[in-house]
Amino acid sequence: MVDAARHPNIEILAYSEVTKVDGYIGNFRVEVMKKPRYVIEDRCNGCGECARVCPIEVPNSFEMDIAPRKAIDVPHDQAVPLVYAIDIDHCIRCYKCVEACGKLDAIDFSQEPEFVELDVGSIIVATGFETFDPAVIPEYGYGVYPNVITAMELERLSNSSGPTVGRVVRPSDGKTPKSIAMIQCVGSRDSRFMEYCSGFCCMYTIKNALLLHQTYPDMDITILYMDIRTPGKGYEEFYNRARAAGIRFIRGRPSQITEDPETHNLFVEVEDQELGEVIELEVEMVSLSTAAIPQADTERLSSVLALSRSPSGFYMEYHPKLRPVDSPSDGVFLAGAAQGPKDIPASVAQGSAAASRAARVLTSDTWEIEPIVAKVWPELCISAQGKKCGICAQACPYNAIIVEPGQPAQIIQAKCHGCGGCAAECPHDAITQDHFTDAQIVAQIRELLRENPEEKILVFMCHWCSYGGADSAGTSHFEYPSNSRGIRVMCSARMDQEFILEAFRRGAGMVLVSGCHPQDCHYITGQQVAAKRFSRVPRTLERLGINPERFRVEWISAAEGEKYARVITEMSEKLASFDKEELRAETERARPAIEKRLRRWMMTPHMAPFLKDEEEQEVEKEVMA
Amino acid sequence: MADNEELRIGVYVCSCGSNIGGVIDPAEVAEFASHLPGVVLAKDYLYMCGDPGQNMIKRDIIEHKLNRVVVAACSVRMHEPTFRACVAEAGLNPFLMEMANIREQDTWVHAHDPEGALQKAKDLVAAAVAKVRYVSPLQMITVPVTKKALVIGGGVAGISAALDLADMGIHTYLVEKDLSIGGTMAQLNKTFPTMDCSI
Repeated sequence: MVDAARHPNIEILAYSEVTKVDGYIGNFRVEVMKKPRYVIEDRCNGCGECARVCPIEVPNSFEMDIAPRKAIDVPHDQAVPLVYAIDIDHCIRCYKCVEACGKLDAIDFSQEPEFVELDVGSIIVATGFETFDPAVIPEYGYGVYPNVITAMELERLSNSSGPTVGRVVRPSDGKTPKSIAMIQCVGSRDSRFMEYCSGFCCMYTIKNALLLHQTYPDMDITILYMDIRTPGKGYEEFYNRARAAGIRFIRGRPSQITEDPETHNLFVEVEDQELGEVIELEVEMVSLSTAAIPQADTERLSSVLALSRSPSGFYMEYHPKLRPVDSPSDGVFLAGAAQGPKDIPASVAQGSAAASRAARVLTSDTWEIEPIVAKVWPELCISAQGKKCGICAQACPYNAIIVEPGQPAQIIQAKCHGCGGCAAECPHDAITQDHFTDAQIVAQIRELLRENPEEKILVFMCHWCSYGGADSAGTSHFEYPSNSRGIRVMCSARMDQEFILEAFRRGAGMVLVSGCHPQDCHYITGQQVAAKRFSRVPRTLERLGINPERFRVEWISAAEGEKYARVITEMSEKLASFDKEELRAETERARPAIEKRLRRWMMTPHMAPFLKDEEEQEVEKEVMA
Repeated sequence: MADNEELRIGVYVCSCGSNIGGVIDPAEVAEFASHLPGVVLAKDYLYMCGDPGQNMIKRDIIEHKLNRVVVAACSVRMHEPTFRACVAEAGLNPFLMEMANIREQDTWVHAHDPEGALQKAKDLVAAAVAKVRYVSPLQMITVPVTKKALVIGGGVAGISAALDLADMGIHTYLVEKDLSIGGTMAQLNKTFPTMDCSI
C-alpha cells in the first residue's frame, strides 16, 4: 500500500469510480468521478483532530460494521491516502471539525462530485470480491443470534488493530468464548446460492483456528467442513499443523443452529459423516466462512467496459486456459478475485500477469488493429444525389459517419470500430463492411443451405458473445443436434434483414440470430440497433407467408455454452415437428415476393451472382475461366 | 488481387489429434474440399497449428502459388492469429485466410453423431471456401499508443499490477472506489500459510 502511494509513477485516485470508457486499445478515454470527501486532499495532514471532536458515530464498514467510526474519519489508521472524509448522510453540520482543523482549513462542505478525464492505453480491472450475506440462510440464525458471526468479523475481532485490539469476544456479553465452531461453505457449494467453491475459505478458517489456538490455548475449536481443500504450496502442511495442534475437524454440513436464550450459547446440529449419526454441539460462538461473491457493481462496470460475466457473475476471461488474464475487450485485462475467487498469492500473481499483458501494449509506440471497417459505395448513396437520409449516421455508435447533402456518406476510418450496423441499416444497400461484405455472407448462406436446407438451422453469430457461447458449448462438450450451421459476423448489428430473407429464400428450415446481451455489447448500442430490427422480422415473414416460428432471436454470452446448446436443441426439436413438404411449399410460395424485395440488393456490387442459380453458375464459370 | 487473377485456394483440414479426427475422418473432408470451385489442393494433417503443419501451408503457398487459404480446425478465437501469421510469412495477405470451426462448433459437440458431424464439417468448409473467394487483401490499421495505464481497484491484485507497471516506467492511475486502497487484504489479521501480517 505504502509502496504504491510513494511510487512516482502511480497516481492514486481514491474514493473515485470509473463512469465512462470510450476508445479502443492504446487509446482509451476514461471518465472518473471523484466522490466528494468534503475535505481538501492537499490540505489535510491526517492529524485526526476533526474526528476527535466529531460527536457523531456511524458504522465502520472496514470493521464489518461491528465498530463505529466518526462522521468525519478515516477507515483505519494506515489508510492510504491518509485523508479524512465526511459521511455527509450522517453529518449534523455542527462544524466542530472546521474549528478543530483551524488554520489548515481543509474542510469544504461545498464539494461536489468532480469528473476527470484520463487518457490511457490499457486498463486493468482488479475490482475484487464481496462476501456472501449469510442472513439469507435462515437455519444459521445470522443476524438473529448475536454470537453467530462471519469469518470476516472474526478477522477484525482477532486483529490487534481492530475494534477490540485483538481480543476475541462474544457480541452478547463481551466475554471471550471458551468454545467456537467454524462452519465452512456458507453460501458456496450450495445449489440454493453459489454452486462454485470459493477456494480460499478452508485455508483462512484453518488460519483463524490456529491464531485463536495460539492466543487462547484452552479454547475448544471445531471446524465443520464438507471437504478440506488445500491445493496451494505449503497448504496441506498448514492443515496438518492445525490437526496436530488439536483443532477438531468434523465432516458434515450443519442443518440447523439454535440458541439458548439465556446464555446465548449455540447448539449446532450436524450429521457427522464419519460417525454416520446426527450430533449436537454446544458452543459459545459460531463463525461462518462465507462465500466470495462478485462485487455489487460488477454489472455496472461490465457495461461500461463491455466485459462479459461468467455464470457465477465474475468477469469472464477471453479463454479459460490460454488467455486467463485477457478480457474479451482488446487492451482490457483482468486481475485478482474480480475474475473469480482467489487467494492472495494467486491475486498477486495475476496482478503481475495482467501488468505484463498490459505492458505488451504500453511499451509499444504503435499497435495494429484489425482493418474491419465500413465502406460506402458512393454511387448508391442517395445522399450523394442530394436526398436527405443519414440513417447510417444514426445507427453508428461512434459518430464515425459524416453525412452532408450532395456528398456520399463518409466513414471516418479511425473512428469506425467495425460493428457493421450502418451496412445493415442502409435502406439503399450503399454500405458494406470489409471482411464481412454482403457477398461474402451470402456466399456462405448459399453453401450452408446447398443441400437439404429444410433440415437445417442457419445461425448468425456475433464474434464476441454468441460465437464465443458456441465455442464454450464445445469446450464443455455440451452436445446438441448437428443440423445447425453458423455464420460469424462481428456484431448482431451487422445481421441485415436481407440475410434472413435470403436464408429463407434458400429454403432454410429455421433461422437463429444471436448476439450479446445488451449490457455486454462490444459496440455500445450495436445490440440495440439489431434488437429493434429483429423485432420487425416476424411481421415481415408473416406478410411473406413464412411461419414466423421458423425465426428466433437469442442473446447468448460467451459464457453461456449451456444456453447455446439448449437453444439449438429446442429449435431442432421444433424443426422436426414441421412437415418438410409444407416448409418447401412455403419457401416456393414466398420466393417471388422475397426475390422482389431482394432484387435491388442483389444488384449492388459483387452481389448479382447470388440472385438466381442460373446466373450464379454463369458467373462461376467466368470466375473459373 | 487483380480481378482477372485465377483463384488458387488451398484447404487444410486439421485432425487435432483425436479432437477432430476421433469423430470424423479429416481426409474425407479434404477429399470433398478438393472438388470445390477454385480449390487447387486440399490436405489433412494431424496438427495443423504445429510447425510441420504451418510449414506445409507456407511451402504450398509458394510452390502452388496459392492466393487463398482455408484452414478447417478450431475456433477463430483460438488460432486465427496463428494462421494469419503463418500465411503472412509466406507472403500472403493475412486476410486471404479463412477458418472453418470444425472442432468447438462441430466434433466437440456432435461426438454422438459422427455422420452429422462429417456433413456439418463439409458444409462449413464449403462455406469458408465460398467466403474466401470474395475476400480482399486488407492492411492492418496502425494506431498510436498512449503510454499510460489505468488500474481499477486498489486491492492486492490491483496494487501488484500498478507497482509492476510503474516500475516499468509507465504512468499508472490507480482508481479505488473506497476511501483507502488496500481492499480486503488490509482487513485481514495475518495471512496463510506463513502467518505474516497483511498490510
